[in-house]
Amino acid sequence: MLCVRDLHAAYGNIHVLRGVSFEIVGGQIATILGRNGSGRSTTCKAVMGLLPPLHGQVQLDGVNLAGRESHDIAHAGLGYVPEERLIFTTLTVEENLVLGQKPAKPGAARWTMDELYDLFPRLRERRNIRAGFLSGGEQQMLTMFRTLLGNPCAILIDEPTEGLAPKIVDVVGETILEMKRRGLAVILMEQKLSMAMKVTDTVLVMGHGQIVFTGTPQAFEADPGIRRQWLEVA
Amino acid sequence: MPPQEQSPRSSARVTVVRILPIALVLGALIGLPRFADMAFLNAMVMVCIAALYAMGYNLLWGQAGLISFGHATYFAFGASCTIMTMAAIEGGSSFPTPLLPLAGGAASFLMGLVAGWFATIRTGVYFAMITVAITELVRAIVQRWDSMFGGEAGITSIRMAWGPIGFQKLLDVYYFTLAWTIIGILLLWFLQRSPLGTVIRGIREQEERVRFLGYDTHALKTLVFAISAGVSGMAGGLLAFTNESTNVALYEGAYSTTVLINTVIGGAGVFLGPVVGATLTTLFGYYVANLTYYWLLYMGLLFMVIVVYAPRGISGLGVDAVRRLRSGAPVRWDLLGRFALGWLVVTIGAIMTIELIGAVVQPSYGALARSSGVAWPPVRVFWVSWSPASPLTLGGIALLFGLGAVLLRDTAGTASRNVSTLADAIAGKPGPGV
Repeated sequence: MLCVRDLHAAYGNIHVLRGVSFEIVGGQIATILGRNGSGRSTTCKAVMGLLPPLHGQVQLDGVNLAGRESHDIAHAGLGYVPEERLIFTTLTVEENLVLGQKPAKPGAARWTMDELYDLFPRLRERRNIRAGFLSGGEQQMLTMFRTLLGNPCAILIDEPTEGLAPKIVDVVGETILEMKRRGLAVILMEQKLSMAMKVTDTVLVMGHGQIVFTGTPQAFEADPGIRRQWLEVA
Repeated sequence: MPPQEQSPRSSARVTVVRILPIALVLGALIGLPRFADMAFLNAMVMVCIAALYAMGYNLLWGQAGLISFGHATYFAFGASCTIMTMAAIEGGSSFPTPLLPLAGGAASFLMGLVAGWFATIRTGVYFAMITVAITELVRAIVQRWDSMFGGEAGITSIRMAWGPIGFQKLLDVYYFTLAWTIIGILLLWFLQRSPLGTVIRGIREQEERVRFLGYDTHALKTLVFAISAGVSGMAGGLLAFTNESTNVALYEGAYSTTVLINTVIGGAGVFLGPVVGATLTTLFGYYVANLTYYWLLYMGLLFMVIVVYAPRGISGLGVDAVRRLRSGAPVRWDLLGRFALGWLVVTIGAIMTIELIGAVVQPSYGALARSSGVAWPPVRVFWVSWSPASPLTLGGIALLFGLGAVLLRDTAGTASRNVSTLADAIAGKPGPGV
């Protein structure tokens, strides 16, 4: 279980996260929605230790990770798929995947390279090609697979479908559901509702650096005020 | 066709194409003593040492993207510890002589662990500055600690026999150095191919990404620094073994610069690039130094030309050429011919200029002018006597440079692009690398 409590973080003098709190158990998908600048990506960075939090707790299966180095946090079983598809462009596809490999923690889902290649066979065909030559969709899948090979217990995925063709969006959705089937706690950061609403169990809405709504997709759909106030651009 | 579906025959051909040149070079190196004289064999011993040193250095630059300006420390420390071990063997220690380079390598590895831990806290220019600071610190200590490092006089010892091997003949030293150089290069090759090698290249490209994948990048960079220092120390050990002596001059900055120059000239981005650079510059030093007093100046110019026009070094040029040929792109013979002629003309002009000025500024030239009564006595360059002040000579040189500028007119863009890429690389900015 991933439990974030009262997380505060700042870029210099700009206080971006003002007490973010949420919880997610294994085998569930939570989607954090919000406008640009609402603090979704900053939440990922603060949880992963890439931006040291000012205050608050990040607990994974009861262990507090807040304030630790990001490699320690990754080792503890938290995976991160960044928005910018940060692949290693000069390494081959397979070398990128090898970089992600880590031994699985007891109880964590195990992933093998072959299973992942089966989910998206194009990467298998291109495994000896430099990753910089891949298309945007292939790079997105590579980034997700690289993180999964670390056998995480929980995974943060930032804007996985941004700028992708509908076919690839379907593959991304399938892969996220497979993560859920295998018992991972998945936290999805999305701006678009279409794919997220199909897969998610919980909807969280962010505004002004806080979680302002938590509920099921049905409850979210039933409350147009939330969407108008926190998601639509005036 | 995806690479994994290659037919066995074509993959066998690829293996042959890759292995054959290496096998030929190895065969030539093993058979070399049958044909070479003592001077050349001696030069080749120095080539091996310089090659191993540059390979160790390039683990840090070419693989991890960290440019050190103070690697002489680890080379020299390896030499010092090896000579101390040799002295111990002389004094009755049972340490086996053939393993002497390991003593130097292990000592430098340990020193690299400590120095690397500090240096790799930072990257880019700051990393480079810390390496320089550590070098100066070690040099200051070593130069004052005569009882340990022998001061200006240095430490001398002798190569003790081990079993049937006497280690007294140059032939023994040559094969010993060659064997250890190959062992060192193989070690680096397997390291590069290992998962650790992949992580190191990942750190070069984007350290933060490697961190959130769960790697302690500071620890890994420290380890890479130490391995690089260890291999450099092995090379230093081979130098101590060959010379049967060391002195504190080895700790000076010049030895840090030499390895950097060798790596740049050979090419940091190609695995065996530093070997090419070390071979070229060491042999250049051996043979061109006999021809001209200004050989170091020529080496400096070569370095500058390579940095500006071919930042991937000579081996990088070779790899690019092979790739181009394989891709089936048409060879622009007209362009190649024009550039070759342009560089030839500029080189001749540069040699004429340097040798004429070099001769004229020497005190002996003034004395000759006074004694002969001729204001500008002739100077011999390229087996011809030239009058340094005659319009024919000066006009000829100007003509060569002018012709060179015309022939090489469209290379200025490449030069400025490459210089900015190199500046980015030194500053530690991610990019296509050099």
